[in-house]
Amino acid sequence: MRADVVVVGAGHAGCEAAIAAARMGARVIVVTLSRARVGHMPCNPAVGGVGKGHLVAETDALGGVQGWAADRAGLQFKTLNRSRGPAVWGPRAQCDKNRYSQLLRGLLLGIHGVELIEAEVVGLESDDGRVVAVRLGDGRRVEARAVIVTTGTFLDGVLHTGPERRAGGREDEPASRGLGNSLAEHGLELRRFKTGTPPRLHRDSLDYSRLTEEQGDDEPRPFSWRTRAVRNRCLCWSARTLEVVQRIIEDNLHRSPLFSGQIVGIGPRYCPSIEDKVVRFPHHREHTLFIEPEGLDGESMYVNGLATSLPRDVQERVVRSVPGLERAEFLRYGYAVEYDVVAPGQVSAALTARAVPGLWLAGQVLGTSGYEEAAGLGLLAGINAALALRGEAPLVVGRDEGYLGVLVDDVVHVEHREPYRMLTSRAEHRLLLGIDSARERLMARGVELGLVPKRAFHVEHLRWDARERARQELERTRLNPSTETRDAVRRACRVEITAPTTWAGVLRRTDVDPALAAAGLEALSDLPSEDRLVVVSRVRYAGYLERQRKEVARVRRLREAAIPEAFEPRALPGLSREVLEALERHRPRSLGEAARLPGVTPAAVAILAGWLSRRREV
Amino acid sequence: MVRLSGSEAARIAGAVCSGLDPDRPWRAQLVELSGDLGPGERAVAIPYRAPRSATGEDMVELVLHGSPFVVGRVLERCVAAGARPAAPGEFTRRAVANGKLDLLQAEAVRDLVAAETRFEYQSAQRQLSGELSRELGRVRGELIATLAQLEAGLDFAAQGADPDPDIAMRCLARVGQEIDRLVSGGERRELARGGVRVVLVGAPNAGKSTLFNRLLCRPRAIVADAPGTTRDVLEATTEIDGVKTVLVDTAGLGVGGGEVEREGVARAGAALAEAHVAVVLWPADTAQGPPQLALPPGGRRLLVRSKADLAPGGGEGWLRVSARTGEGFAELEARLASVVRELVGHEDGPVAVGARHRRALERARAELAAVDTGTPELAAEGVRWALAALEELVGEVLTEDVLDEVFATFCIGK
Repeated sequence: MRADVVVVGAGHAGCEAAIAAARMGARVIVVTLSRARVGHMPCNPAVGGVGKGHLVAETDALGGVQGWAADRAGLQFKTLNRSRGPAVWGPRAQCDKNRYSQLLRGLLLGIHGVELIEAEVVGLESDDGRVVAVRLGDGRRVEARAVIVTTGTFLDGVLHTGPERRAGGREDEPASRGLGNSLAEHGLELRRFKTGTPPRLHRDSLDYSRLTEEQGDDEPRPFSWRTRAVRNRCLCWSARTLEVVQRIIEDNLHRSPLFSGQIVGIGPRYCPSIEDKVVRFPHHREHTLFIEPEGLDGESMYVNGLATSLPRDVQERVVRSVPGLERAEFLRYGYAVEYDVVAPGQVSAALTARAVPGLWLAGQVLGTSGYEEAAGLGLLAGINAALALRGEAPLVVGRDEGYLGVLVDDVVHVEHREPYRMLTSRAEHRLLLGIDSARERLMARGVELGLVPKRAFHVEHLRWDARERARQELERTRLNPSTETRDAVRRACRVEITAPTTWAGVLRRTDVDPALAAAGLEALSDLPSEDRLVVVSRVRYAGYLERQRKEVARVRRLREAAIPEAFEPRALPGLSREVLEALERHRPRSLGEAARLPGVTPAAVAILAGWLSRRREV
Repeated sequence: MVRLSGSEAARIAGAVCSGLDPDRPWRAQLVELSGDLGPGERAVAIPYRAPRSATGEDMVELVLHGSPFVVGRVLERCVAAGARPAAPGEFTRRAVANGKLDLLQAEAVRDLVAAETRFEYQSAQRQLSGELSRELGRVRGELIATLAQLEAGLDFAAQGADPDPDIAMRCLARVGQEIDRLVSGGERRELARGGVRVVLVGAPNAGKSTLFNRLLCRPRAIVADAPGTTRDVLEATTEIDGVKTVLVDTAGLGVGGGEVEREGVARAGAALAEAHVAVVLWPADTAQGPPQLALPPGGRRLLVRSKADLAPGGGEGWLRVSARTGEGFAELEARLASVVRELVGHEDGPVAVGARHRRALERARAELAAVDTGTPELAAEGVRWALAALEELVGEVLTEDVLDEVFATFCIGK
């Protein structure tokens, strides 16, 4: 068999990669262990949130499919941080897992140029250091010019529930054996990570009268430009654990694979298991749990906040100690999975494996955690594999251009010792990267790549223009404190003005409620309600945004400061041996590249920067 | 002592002496200087192996007797063997590059070397020992904790980890006070480094020059009995209670006459404008009332009734002093010392900070003052900018630290 691109794994990363590459003209073969599990959500049946929602918006702007699928499979839509500025809005959709999976499978099967086969990839074959084919468990070979590995948690996966341990990638799926070894043989360093998932309870065994209802937003907001509208279709619930949980867990800590040393992999800090939480935060009297249906018609309820690998009987005691869950029946017990990841630093900014030409990596196998991170990386890998096959330069999103940029940059350069999850605090230019600007930042590239139709781009563009016009009007329209004007200001913003000002000046006052103003201002009345809020925020944040823009420019200048070809690191006094070795081995061409090399200290960067600026003066 | 630092240190040292065993580092070894310096010319050599050395590189220290010829020859031979003379501060710079010292400590080395008074010496010592770095580290830590709270509220909105804006505000106010303390310490340090300016003023022949000489313990000004003898403004640096003090003796005020006198009087006025302490002399041998002078705001004054032996009484607040009988001098010196001390603070008081640090701290302070705690995402930016200003002082990465902090204090689900 032969293809342009082989994608190993059909999860969130794999699907995005395959679909993007195919749309860009490549012939793609996707190899998955199970056709039934394409686009599966093994953990939280939800997409988005704060940070993750930003990734979905950007993936969607570039032409990826996750947002579209989440809109159609969505059961409840909520935007977190709604009361704050758009920079930190976190749109989230609780989804019907099966529907989501069906949608992605339908896409894969329907797109011209994609073939889906069910098999296990047991190894890579290379010629002269370059990957040329993958070897399947049944002996077949698939030749390809590019291979994208998106194996998620399957590489040498081991599942733990209490003392039970068995090989497995997820729940009831087998692990992948040979490929991990093959990657290692090709020079990739692997590391052991872990992640976990909570139990699933039977819907009918819960006492809803003792749980708190959680509703979606009044005006649910779709992720994708492809979606016109979405609606909420179900409720969720929340519950609180009692103090007794602490005792139950402490009494049984010795039986927890995490604490007994049975599990070696390092787990995420941001998604700690319940036993982690209890051990590390013993002063917290209670923990909040969210109970979320996994499907509209199914019986399975996901318990958000209770990831665990404690033995079954302990899980039962913990769950049943929660008010409302006393009679809970378990459809599935929580488990932890240990798996191999490719250690950070071995992938380029285009997501190619530095040591193995022809190989791309994306998704959880790179050490990230979450469907959104996986989808974003998968999309970029698919795009870049297709570009590489055409002989074109890869798409690299900068840290100042999007959370996708922050994601890739962190995955490539930072020594993470635990699964990486996107948070807005990772973005140093957070105010410029809100979801309100995702399409403005990235949609044009989606069009260039052929993944976003021009028509859709045009429609969005009209919207951005309208926002910008409104914003400028607010900045320019002078307000003189005549009786009429004062009344208008009072009606729209509920404040008094006494001196000449502009609408922008009024909006920037700390006593003005942005939401009220957005609804009340005439200048904004033609815009959809979300856009009104965006304009008001951009006016209020103007000073901060301007400052961030200046920082971006400054950092870019520094980063791009070119290091001449003929540069001899040893000619600079004051550089340590480690720094000299790093500079000589990697031969960075810009200050930014140099600063990112492992072992290069801030002091060394300062010395380099000083030298470069002195040279310019000469 | 000749110091070599770098990976070739041992080899180059070996070109200058024999008997050096680099495999026995950190031990003083007796070696013999070679070539035309020997035979019999001995020295002590101490090799150091990276990273356990002052610079973090391989080093060799050659302890020679001080003969200029020998030292010169040794330096020449080192250069001939491939060494390069160190640029100013280069050893310290390498120490910083290798992480042995942070930037603040490096500055302390510089200040230590330049210290002229006990105050400066002790300040520099404390900075070198890392005291300032620790103080800044504490301030930074508090800011990171506040930032972490704000960030957690944003990134984990689902878990309802809403930060209380009052807590954030109080925290930032506290940090602001800490910074103010460090900054005022810095002003005092600069004062100490430049010297407290003590200006003696008073009518001609009021006894200023006598007092000047007495405080300096050596005659400098021309002392004579006719008014208008000091025709110039004289400055001399001395140390009072361990603090650098610049004494300024001015021409008599109110003397009419020639060009020189007028110039002197003008300079006296200028000196007074820059004074930290004015010692006002009112001689007891005239019928004139106490001199009225305009002093700069914040300036301290000591009122001295000079030539007290010539007439009894004086005024409220005027210290009676006589050069002839010695009356009141001890008291005067004690009061002067205490005023100087008050201006400069004590060495064991709050840590003092240099000019560069002060600028960065003041920037941080300004950022914090502008923070809008009611809007967490903007407040977070403000705190980040304040942290960035502090970061310049010591140089660290920000983002991962914030995350570390968040997860030490918050319990977050998926």
